[in-house]
Amino acid sequence: MKKTISIILMSVLLISLLAGCGGGGQPAEGDNKQAEGGDKAGSEIKIGLCLYKFDDTFISTVRQAIEKDAAEKSKATGDKITINAVDGQGQQATQNDQVDTFITQGYDIIDVNMVDRTAASVIIDKAKKADIPIVFFNREPVPEDMDKWDKLYYVGAKAEESGTMQGSIAVEYWKNHPEADKNGDGIMQYVMLEGEPGHQDAILRTEYSIKAVEEAGIKTEKLASDTGNWQRAQGQEKMAAWLSAFGDKIEVVFANNDDMALGAIEALKAAGYFQGDKYMPVIGVDATAPALDALADGKLLGTVLNDAKGQGNAILEISYALAKGKDPELEGLTDGKYCWVPYQPVTKENMDQFR
Amino acid sequence: MASTNTKPKTKPSLQTSELKAILSNNAIYMVLLILFLTIGILNKNFLSLSNIGNILRISSVRMIIALGVSGALITRGTDLSAGRVVALTACISASLLQRPDYAYKIYENLPNLPIILPILLAILIGTIIGIINGSIVAYLKVPAFIATLGMQVIVYGFACIYTNAQPIGGLRDDFTNLASGSIFLIPNLVLIAAIIVAVIWFMYNHTQFGKYIYAIGGNPSAAEVSGVKVEPTLVKVYALAGGLYGLAGALLAARTGGATNNYGLMYELDAIAACTIGGVSTSGGIGRVSGIITGVLIFEVLSNGLVILGVSAYWQQVIKGIIIITAVAFDIRKYFAKR
Repeated sequence: MKKTISIILMSVLLISLLAGCGGGGQPAEGDNKQAEGGDKAGSEIKIGLCLYKFDDTFISTVRQAIEKDAAEKSKATGDKITINAVDGQGQQATQNDQVDTFITQGYDIIDVNMVDRTAASVIIDKAKKADIPIVFFNREPVPEDMDKWDKLYYVGAKAEESGTMQGSIAVEYWKNHPEADKNGDGIMQYVMLEGEPGHQDAILRTEYSIKAVEEAGIKTEKLASDTGNWQRAQGQEKMAAWLSAFGDKIEVVFANNDDMALGAIEALKAAGYFQGDKYMPVIGVDATAPALDALADGKLLGTVLNDAKGQGNAILEISYALAKGKDPELEGLTDGKYCWVPYQPVTKENMDQFR
Repeated sequence: MASTNTKPKTKPSLQTSELKAILSNNAIYMVLLILFLTIGILNKNFLSLSNIGNILRISSVRMIIALGVSGALITRGTDLSAGRVVALTACISASLLQRPDYAYKIYENLPNLPIILPILLAILIGTIIGIINGSIVAYLKVPAFIATLGMQVIVYGFACIYTNAQPIGGLRDDFTNLASGSIFLIPNLVLIAAIIVAVIWFMYNHTQFGKYIYAIGGNPSAAEVSGVKVEPTLVKVYALAGGLYGLAGALLAARTGGATNNYGLMYELDAIAACTIGGVSTSGGIGRVSGIITGVLIFEVLSNGLVILGVSAYWQQVIKGIIIITAVAFDIRKYFAKR
């Protein structure tokens, strides 16, 4: 009995200690001062941020953008905005529990990056009952779910757009470099490194990148396509195997994200590419820091920026307006609830503005 | 041998039973050989020197991890923290070996460190995590499955904190060359793995530590009674494993030219599966280094071969699962024969 009590006490102590230094996720910098100053102005706004997984590079960048914008907004308006980010660990059940917790704790707004985009209706029903608006982002719930209530919003990019832009980068290279058609048959032989199976971005990027090439009047032939699960190491391993299987038959490498594209580049380097005039066009998505470095280095042909900062900003603006009881009148809100943040193609020529 | 236990009946049947014994004792080598030849016949590019080099390079890192896990398995434990320790140490070593001109360096004014330092640091961090794992298992008597699962989550957390979930790139050429280079046509990674294999083989077969771990795996209470220092040995087993993950993490960063916090995902399960295919018993006490090497090679030959054959990603999973089960089902027969 004594032991049990001491264990409980210990865990309570530990948790409160951690909560103390974590401060409920990320207390926006600057709003600490406000709190010390004695709540002169402004109300407290609590935003629950549900992420499908913490180890996704892009999602983490969105989160950091939201946290940064929240800090700036707190400073500018005097409202105390706290963001509490939680990790869904890639499991919808875990995420549902986290949403429940936010609801019972009386959060003002919940921003949700669904694990399974088709499973939103459960979350929506709960939020509707508690009258807490939801801003979905990055993974779009199905239209029927979005129509369930008028306090649902979605911030994201049109994944097909990123695919289309990858295709355009390939087309431009193909047209300006006749030597890109290595076997001279007029057909673009390519390999495709896909993201996690079933991920909306993976499916659409795979489909629309090739569509854009074909619509530009270039015939394509898929030599191979396999999943690299968004991971650099797997991108490298699959590319190495393809180089063994096809060698110089491969003319273009498409990757659903930059991490896999960079992995493929490592495999290409090991096979003697990027030395002398042995070159392979590799195209990714995300415009991560290592990808920009590879662009500058001439090893990555192009990437597409999924505007994490733009999305983070839109998510915070909508959440803030909703918490204030206002209608979020953001420019370019489609159907009153969809905020589409455009992708941007990035190549060596225009990369400086993205650094 | 089965044939010595059963009474010989007639001459020809003795020969078949001997043949059977040889086959079942070496089943996993047969599986590897059959896989290798089948894939090679279906696509001759598979057998090219460069592709075999690829397989060996990829296997090297996996082998170091599997050897680490094997100690835990032989002593009736397991180590689920392997993959995440690989991720953390990959990130740490990568962050210390970025090119001076890389625009997004983690440490702005880092001097040009000799590459051995971050590698040693990776090994050290892995070892410390291993010591903690081992102490929890040995002294607090927490089941290894739970202790290392908890550690897996903790280490993942630290990897996220350390990298802020951003990818680390721009690694120095002398570091990546460590993985891509070779000495007398033998890839450096393979050489490093071979050294590790030799050291572990020696430890398992010719040291007191080796005798202890098999004794503990065979029967922990009997081992204790006969004077085996069970707790310190367990701590050493997990410490050794952690150090090997640290080395593997640094080598993986060098091979891929970068690192992110999602490196090493599920590597522990691949390693445990490879060990099991290689005849390491998950109920403890049994396991040979040669088996582990074969287990890892079966895994990587299969992964590479299925991609080369152009098998769809979904079917690859199905086939891999079937081969794992088949290999173990074949291999396990030799233990029945012995009993």
